[in-house]
Amino acid sequence: MHPFQYERARNAKNAVSTVAQNPTATFIAGGTSHVDLMKENVHRPDLVVDISGLPLQSIGGHDGGIRIGANVSNTQVAYHPDIVARYPGLSEAILAGASAQIRNMATTAGNPLQRTRCPYFRDTTQACNKREPGTGCAALTGINRVHAIFGASEACVATHPSDMAVALSALDAIVQTRGPRGNRSIPFTDFHRLPGNMPQLDTVLQQGELITSIDLPAFSGRSHYLKARDRASYAFALVSCAIALEMNGGTIRRARIALGGVAHKPWRTPEAEAMLVGKTPSEVLFRDVARAAFAHAKPLEHNAYKVPLGQNLMVRALMETSGLLPLQGTPGTAFASSAGSVAGIIPLSA
Amino acid sequence: MSQLLSAPLQIGDFVSDCSLPDGSRLFELRGRPIILAFAPEAWNPAHTYQSELFAQLLRDFNEGATFIEACTDDWHNFDTASDLASQFGVAGKRALFLVDEHGILRWKIEVEPNEVISLGEVIAALEQLKAKPQNAGGISRRAFLSATLAAAAVLSLPLLEAKADPQLPKPEVAREQNAPPAPYDSSGTIPVTLRVNGKARKLQLEPRVALLDALREYLHLTGTKKGCDHGQCGACTVHIDGERQLSCLTLAVMSQGKNITTIEGLASGDNLHPVQSAFIKHDAFQCGYCTPGQIMSATALIKEGHAHTDAEIRESMSGNLCRCAAYPNIIAAIKEAQGEVRSA
Repeated sequence: MHPFQYERARNAKNAVSTVAQNPTATFIAGGTSHVDLMKENVHRPDLVVDISGLPLQSIGGHDGGIRIGANVSNTQVAYHPDIVARYPGLSEAILAGASAQIRNMATTAGNPLQRTRCPYFRDTTQACNKREPGTGCAALTGINRVHAIFGASEACVATHPSDMAVALSALDAIVQTRGPRGNRSIPFTDFHRLPGNMPQLDTVLQQGELITSIDLPAFSGRSHYLKARDRASYAFALVSCAIALEMNGGTIRRARIALGGVAHKPWRTPEAEAMLVGKTPSEVLFRDVARAAFAHAKPLEHNAYKVPLGQNLMVRALMETSGLLPLQGTPGTAFASSAGSVAGIIPLSA
Repeated sequence: MSQLLSAPLQIGDFVSDCSLPDGSRLFELRGRPIILAFAPEAWNPAHTYQSELFAQLLRDFNEGATFIEACTDDWHNFDTASDLASQFGVAGKRALFLVDEHGILRWKIEVEPNEVISLGEVIAALEQLKAKPQNAGGISRRAFLSATLAAAAVLSLPLLEAKADPQLPKPEVAREQNAPPAPYDSSGTIPVTLRVNGKARKLQLEPRVALLDALREYLHLTGTKKGCDHGQCGACTVHIDGERQLSCLTLAVMSQGKNITTIEGLASGDNLHPVQSAFIKHDAFQCGYCTPGQIMSATALIKEGHAHTDAEIRESMSGNLCRCAAYPNIIAAIKEAQGEVRSA
């Protein structure tokens, strides 16, 4: 691991100005992704500013919704009674990711900032424009089974690994930041970037810009998260789907759909969402919607399976959210979000 | 062979040429100091990690140093009857040899297979080598180090005692003197105080030292295991302020002011924690390497109170891998302990 200087942030203002002034400085909080990548020599900061002690630790009502402090752990969010009751899709997404240990460490701000799990990014002997701009993309012609089918570029075909971020995208969360030039509110859907020709940038955050909270807007509909992966637990999504559905009697008033594991960011599907408005839920409708959502997918050599997998997953997620199919487990738990069995056991019905 | 084995190299002896596990010859490395590391196991994360540290030490020792590493799991290519094995007499041992650029054995250390080599001693040996004036002549003065790692073929995995690792009875004073080992870059270290199993421990560490390494290498609390070192296996699970967390992905410096509990701190005196007793009763391990992590994770799981059915326990324990696949017994142990802890 590259040696670095360590500083414990005294306050947010101080942390922001320190990191903003030093391009080789970085924040650290939970460290689950960061320390791992430092061990791999992928991240090589000269200065690490520890923000884990900053008072960004509370969850509370805000503007009819919920404000989640940047340092609140993933576990705290997933099991928070208000989140479970009002945004079960977010709990399901968080509990579908990582392990209990990692969720205890990982923070609200850190989770969406985790880097891609593209194996070429993590292997410093391979070409990777995200790690070292200009070196090329080994995944483009390599083993690209887990890579993007939407929004990729010649420079990068990586996907974003977070489950939580997919749910936050479907819920239209807002990222609150404090930067060297003041505060910003960034809609979650604008927070992550597509790779384009600058895949080294995952998000729109500036150097030294600190996430202070993630806000969930008021929402009275149903939310749900469904994930398909190689193992029954503790694996990144091949494809996942977050749904936020608001009903008006028997018809859909508004639907938001975000896909995970398919793009450089949580992939919203506006055209598919529009097709649902004013309609009565049915499998036929959901199949049409899923077809439309994947109409412009551009699979690589090894990941064409993500198209039918994603379509079927989306149909099932919509069926389960709208009540046409029962959830596979209690809402707000990992059992609800796992497509297939959990950890080798057929789950209990809800 | 037995004749040779009875008279292995002594300090000051000239090391004869011999073949190395990667197919090269020791002779080819003459003119630069060499470290040879021998490990008895084919696959031992602790050893793999140590070799990374040795490599790092060599680089820090001399900027121009090159580190040549023969694959540490290349043991199947290693012949116990070979000239290398007989000369060094290392079959079944964990050992480190430092050979100078003239081919003279300058330092060696042998430990039991289940022990790790103290980095402090390696650092001291390297410093001593540096301190001795080199021969005049540019090349040898700028001698750069190569390390060649070899592993002997005798597979002797340590059997883990059911009651975690026995702690060597060391007087506290001696331990304080031993730890920390001399920092190889004194300007890069900072004082770090860790509260481990109820005791405050003062260390001098680089900020990049993971909590796992601080526990194992500096505090000699080797009950916490290093499996993958990347947060994927759970062997390094400890409790931080009562929560199960991964010590491999935690910087020690960030753990200051927190209560750290390791497997060594779980039992109260001779009374095992109910989870420890249940693991023994249900035979919830085979090789035992993942067991400290499993137990730390399981005790936290019970406290969390979210997992009761088999399926819920499996899901909640999915961050702890067991290559021996003792999973059914682990679940049985957790379910029994859960009842005991709750009724206690």
